[in-house]
Amino acid sequence: MQDKNYYTIDPEGKLKCMKCGVALEKGKAKFMYLDNGFPVELPVCPQCGFVYVPEELALGKVLSVEKALEDK
Amino acid sequence: MAQINERGSTHVYHVNRLSKDMMDEMISRCIYEQPAYCNAACPLKLDTKAMLKAVAEGDYKKALSLYEKASPFVHILSSGCDAPCEAKCKLCERGEGVAIKDIEKAVAQYGVRSKSGGVFRMKKKKTVALFGSGLFCLFLAGELERKAYPITVFCEEADLESFLAAETGFLSPEAFAAELSRLKGMDIQFSFGSKLDREFFLEKRPGFDVVCASKAAALRFFPEAVCDEALMVYPEEKLVMGLEGRVLDCAFAAKRAALSVDRLAQKLDPGNSRGEEGATETRLYTSLEEVQDSVRVPSGREGYTREQAVEEARRCIQCHCDECKKGCAYLEHYKKYPALLGREIFNNTQIIMGDHQLNKPMNSCSLCGQCKVTCPNGFDMAEVCHLARQNMVSTDKMPLAPHEFALLDMLFSNDEAFLCRPQPGFEQCRYVFFPGCQAAAIAPETVKAAYLDLCSRLDGGVALMLGCCGAICDWAGRVEMLDTVTEFIDRQLAALGNPIVIAGCPSCKKQLSAHEGLKIKGIWDVLCEIGLPEGAQGLDRPAALHDSCGARGDQETQKAIRRIAGLLGCRLVETPYSGDRSPCCGYGGLTAYANRELAKEMTEKCLDRSDAPYISYCMACRDRFAREGRESRHILELVYGTDAGAPPDISQKRYNRLTLKNDLLFNIWGEEASNMEPDYKLEFTGEALKIMDDRMILKSDVIGVMDELRQTGEAIFDAETGLLIARRRIGNVTFWVKYTETEDGGYLVHRAYSHRMNIVLRK
Repeated sequence: MQDKNYYTIDPEGKLKCMKCGVALEKGKAKFMYLDNGFPVELPVCPQCGFVYVPEELALGKVLSVEKALEDK
Repeated sequence: MAQINERGSTHVYHVNRLSKDMMDEMISRCIYEQPAYCNAACPLKLDTKAMLKAVAEGDYKKALSLYEKASPFVHILSSGCDAPCEAKCKLCERGEGVAIKDIEKAVAQYGVRSKSGGVFRMKKKKTVALFGSGLFCLFLAGELERKAYPITVFCEEADLESFLAAETGFLSPEAFAAELSRLKGMDIQFSFGSKLDREFFLEKRPGFDVVCASKAAALRFFPEAVCDEALMVYPEEKLVMGLEGRVLDCAFAAKRAALSVDRLAQKLDPGNSRGEEGATETRLYTSLEEVQDSVRVPSGREGYTREQAVEEARRCIQCHCDECKKGCAYLEHYKKYPALLGREIFNNTQIIMGDHQLNKPMNSCSLCGQCKVTCPNGFDMAEVCHLARQNMVSTDKMPLAPHEFALLDMLFSNDEAFLCRPQPGFEQCRYVFFPGCQAAAIAPETVKAAYLDLCSRLDGGVALMLGCCGAICDWAGRVEMLDTVTEFIDRQLAALGNPIVIAGCPSCKKQLSAHEGLKIKGIWDVLCEIGLPEGAQGLDRPAALHDSCGARGDQETQKAIRRIAGLLGCRLVETPYSGDRSPCCGYGGLTAYANRELAKEMTEKCLDRSDAPYISYCMACRDRFAREGRESRHILELVYGTDAGAPPDISQKRYNRLTLKNDLLFNIWGEEASNMEPDYKLEFTGEALKIMDDRMILKSDVIGVMDELRQTGEAIFDAETGLLIARRRIGNVTFWVKYTETEDGGYLVHRAYSHRMNIVLRK
């Protein structure tokens, strides 16, 4: 069965990890907040595991979910 | 670095500690729901106010449907009613009260009954017999028909016309005809020509569940009958019994009797749970401040025309109380009267599962206490919201996000930026100057000048304490945190020999006054005693004085400030809502953090009162007014000839506190200050600074990210924008910085953003 993902971003080779010198790839990550977890697919460095959260995502979807959870 | 623990899991549920009784008592002080004076005066519970509104809007159909709730026989009622409402009309205090009775006649005359009978009404199973005639019987028949009882009227009269004519001789022929047609349309059985004696009654009685009679008929059946007038019942025989009186007496008696019929039909004691009946005293308050004197629209012999009645109804001021709303941007914003909003906020604290939708309103009140002064009954929204916040914190349901920045700022004030020293040459001091965190953040030069002045002109030594009084965590509802701050400050004061605190901020004065055994005065009190320093000068043009919400109820402070303004030569312009009625600038209660838009509305409301420059005596007010572009000065700036200039951004506010501390440490106590700057070059674009201020991201947060970057080398490069991106989790927040490297090995920051969710890899 396919994993459920709340959000997917494919870096399409446009992002590079400066530490490892390799391109970021679509990878499995999880947002955690107030004991709740949300599986997502974000740009991840295949070597060091750096997960990138783009500005639009942080100020958009992430912020609205944060607010909803805070008022639970 | 200071950190505050995030609230607990959303999956764990807690029992609240807020007492419903206490909240009920607090909320009951709001009188918004109290009936208007005319409504309260009507024993028939007619919603006169709503009816007048409908007439004023020309909606006679609606007006009639409201009026018919008092009685279906609107012509009899409007012609014969003594109209106790008219004497209670608030407009009597401004000329003549509204001609309610004449308007009611117009409603009876011009109103058109709705054709449809509304929802299908099922007749009740219990049957009622009514013996006699006259006003009481007529009204009671009307009431019982409306309640859908199958009724049979036994009367001596030969026909319907004679039945109606009994005791209605005052009606005009047109009104009589109208009532006759109304009566004909009702579902009532009549048995005309009945011989109303005891024998007849005893014969008919077993056929009905409830029996009613006019007073005359009842006395014929039972000569010894005495009516319990509260219930309109002759208890011994369970006979609903009438009275003889004026129209309103009979109509009201019929209402009471109809309720007794309900109870008797259910085989209950007629005295059971009847609720409030009749006219009441209202606790409503209605200000007539903006109401002009006026007199009634004159009516002709035929009464009002359709248009005249509308004109007269428009004189009605629709009595209500909105004293609190008028002065408060918060209540205006939420568009709910405080009892309702307070109730919803209380309910918000009681939710065990589900969304706390009132978190934002609860955290948006500035806790300034203005409503407690403007409300004629002392309703205190601040108390409601403050207790609700405390309860949410104690049950671990309060989100940290709205207040975390302010709380961390407080911890910063009482840690990195904290300073407590006795005056050089003294081990213990008679005084300690406590300027307040906002003064140090916004006007550090003024704080320094004030401290040096106090040291030079007061005997016995003046210590200095730079820090936060604890108002921040108190406003956030964090009782335990406040206890910690209180203990911390008390310890510092004890080390100084428990000096008299000279507060530089009215909110600090109020907050610190709660400490046991603490002696406190304002710097304004001291300046009144010792006079102003040389060079003190007011503005050369008229200015508006904004009273601080921290000084509400503190007449001494308000007077001292005015005295200083006088000594400075300030010409003050009068503003509405000054003194104890002053609104909050938007900083109080942490509104500026929890609801930035509303805080702006609060500031604007303050500034709406005058076009003149503003003088304030709380640095937060000074800052917020300047932020809205108004010329704004703290009174101490005028006293000490300083000018804090344009309002600082959030990072500058922290930087100012640190520089003030280091400056004073070095120049007064000869201590070397620690280096605050990073050992690499860090620059910001103008856009970055603006974004950071908007998003409440501090330069120190960015430095934290860059420090980590320099250690780990973890960053990514975005080929599309050409920017490098680094991040770090600091406390409960992940900060992201978009930057470019500069030639000298430093960084130029282009953008920054943050989120509270933590991101982890998953397998």
